[in-house]
Amino acid sequence: MAESAAPVKVAECGCITALGDAGATHAALLRGECALRPVPVLGRDGGQAVPLALLPGRSLDEAAPPDWLEAVRRLHAAIPGADWGSPGRPVFVTGSNFGVGGLYALRRTGDPAFAVWGAPAACTERLRALLGWGPDVSVISHACVSAHLGLLLATRAVAAGLAEDALVFSFDFLSPFVAGGFHALKILNSGFPSPYRLGNSGAIGLGDGAAFAVLSRERGAWTLAGQSVYNEMHQFTANRGDGSGFDRCLEGVAAAARGRRIWFKGHGTGTLDAGQLEVSAAGRAFPGAPVVGWKGSLGHTLGSCGLVELAIAIESVRAGRTPGTIGGTGPTMGASVATESFENGAYDGAVCASNAFGGAHAAFLLCHA
Amino acid sequence: MLERHLQALHTDNPGDETPAAARERLKGRFPPGATRRMTTLGLLVGNALAELGPGPDDAIVYATGYAESRALEGFLDSFPTPSPTLFQTSIHPSAVQQLMIGRQAPVREFLPLSGGARFAFHALRAALLSPAPRVLLCGGEERGTWLLERGLASARTFAFAAALSRECAPGSLGRVRLSRAGGDGELGLESWFDLLDGRTPFDGLVAPGWRLEVVWR
Repeated sequence: MAESAAPVKVAECGCITALGDAGATHAALLRGECALRPVPVLGRDGGQAVPLALLPGRSLDEAAPPDWLEAVRRLHAAIPGADWGSPGRPVFVTGSNFGVGGLYALRRTGDPAFAVWGAPAACTERLRALLGWGPDVSVISHACVSAHLGLLLATRAVAAGLAEDALVFSFDFLSPFVAGGFHALKILNSGFPSPYRLGNSGAIGLGDGAAFAVLSRERGAWTLAGQSVYNEMHQFTANRGDGSGFDRCLEGVAAAARGRRIWFKGHGTGTLDAGQLEVSAAGRAFPGAPVVGWKGSLGHTLGSCGLVELAIAIESVRAGRTPGTIGGTGPTMGASVATESFENGAYDGAVCASNAFGGAHAAFLLCHA
Repeated sequence: MLERHLQALHTDNPGDETPAAARERLKGRFPPGATRRMTTLGLLVGNALAELGPGPDDAIVYATGYAESRALEGFLDSFPTPSPTLFQTSIHPSAVQQLMIGRQAPVREFLPLSGGARFAFHALRAALLSPAPRVLLCGGEERGTWLLERGLASARTFAFAAALSRECAPGSLGRVRLSRAGGDGELGLESWFDLLDGRTPFDGLVAPGWRLEVVWR
């Protein structure tokens, strides 16, 4: 089941990554730049150096107030319109981290200043006050598909006539908490990610990221068709080995994409099994579609990745060129994996997909309105 | 106006019950051995949700403000050698995933939310906008320890799960309706739970411009 083609448009979309705003990030990806750098996994507490892509000048160690607030303010200043969070203009805040880095600092130092941003609702409430939003602010947290769910709920609110416009705002900033967690799972290690490359061992990188999208019934050059979600509920950190979870999610998007020539922006973190399953499923759902993944440069921006990568996908279509998959060398998991950038003028849609803990899948078709 | 019929409801209001007592009380509700790694919130929410027999075509809307406080505390305490199990268990949607993964029960739509003063409205809006024929609106909190001392966890443990359907079937317990109205109001998760637990009628503002009616049969 996918959402029917609701008359909802993307009026505005933007992001920030370690490489800059959407335009700068897209340009850097076209140049094949990698934002990931080796950083001790626990920041000042040391540990193995792992690939992280932090915003320029930002430390992995949490500050009080958080040092990512300035980046959030800067991104927010680029959002057109006012009265967000008022009746008819709801905000959907998404992410998987919120201020959880403060909890690590709180436990290490005992300084109560770190507690202030620690819980998702409290963090969002402070952000709401800081950014001048009204009280209609929903908070969505479903690990790395969080941003997709924000887009889905915002689309439904606008399509149902409950909102004129809706703002989806997502942010995830790294901390020893999240880096330490993924390191404990052993998928964040000293290796740099090589999404969709064959190899003996997989590795991911993590990245700072924040993004927004304004959805509107009336305005906008883009639509998100066939929004689809699916939850395997097979294991916390692995997918069903037959790839059926990917298929079930993508079948709804494939129906929306029928008759279109599309390219596929995958999740592509750099893990081997999920990468292979995703490339195979994309080939079944969208035969001939080139597959790209950008987390080998940006790192995995976690709950915000769906929105960060939507902004880059839109920038790619605007610019007429899609960055290829970055990271690693050697043979790919399939001939469909594009390792070089390509002209996208002949395509009339891009499928953007993300995955998360619990075998959660989410995807949509980005196309011109 | 958004409206659904309340077809089934399960609430769990354990008061000061300890996590060990909750585990003992609920262990028979899960397959043998399954509760060993389940959190208190996972046990309570999982049990409430299981009562409704979640199916693959149901949508699950999960509301919790603080989520897995005890797992989060344990994960933070495990540094500098962080626990992978506590990391994956501490994520926001974990309680529902503990049940559904244990049952190997896929579900199309799963919407985990957090929230504050107007959490009831945001969760209900998400539930009532879902196109699924049946929406299972569940949620709860577990009492924290050192995070609670710093205002970062719930002081109370509770859980609920409600089945909401478009059609009014025999045995319906009541209905919930969101409609436009002037003014502003609030209804947090704990108050929403008390309302469900007491089968208490409600008619009032729950957000700017939004009125909630809960009618029991």
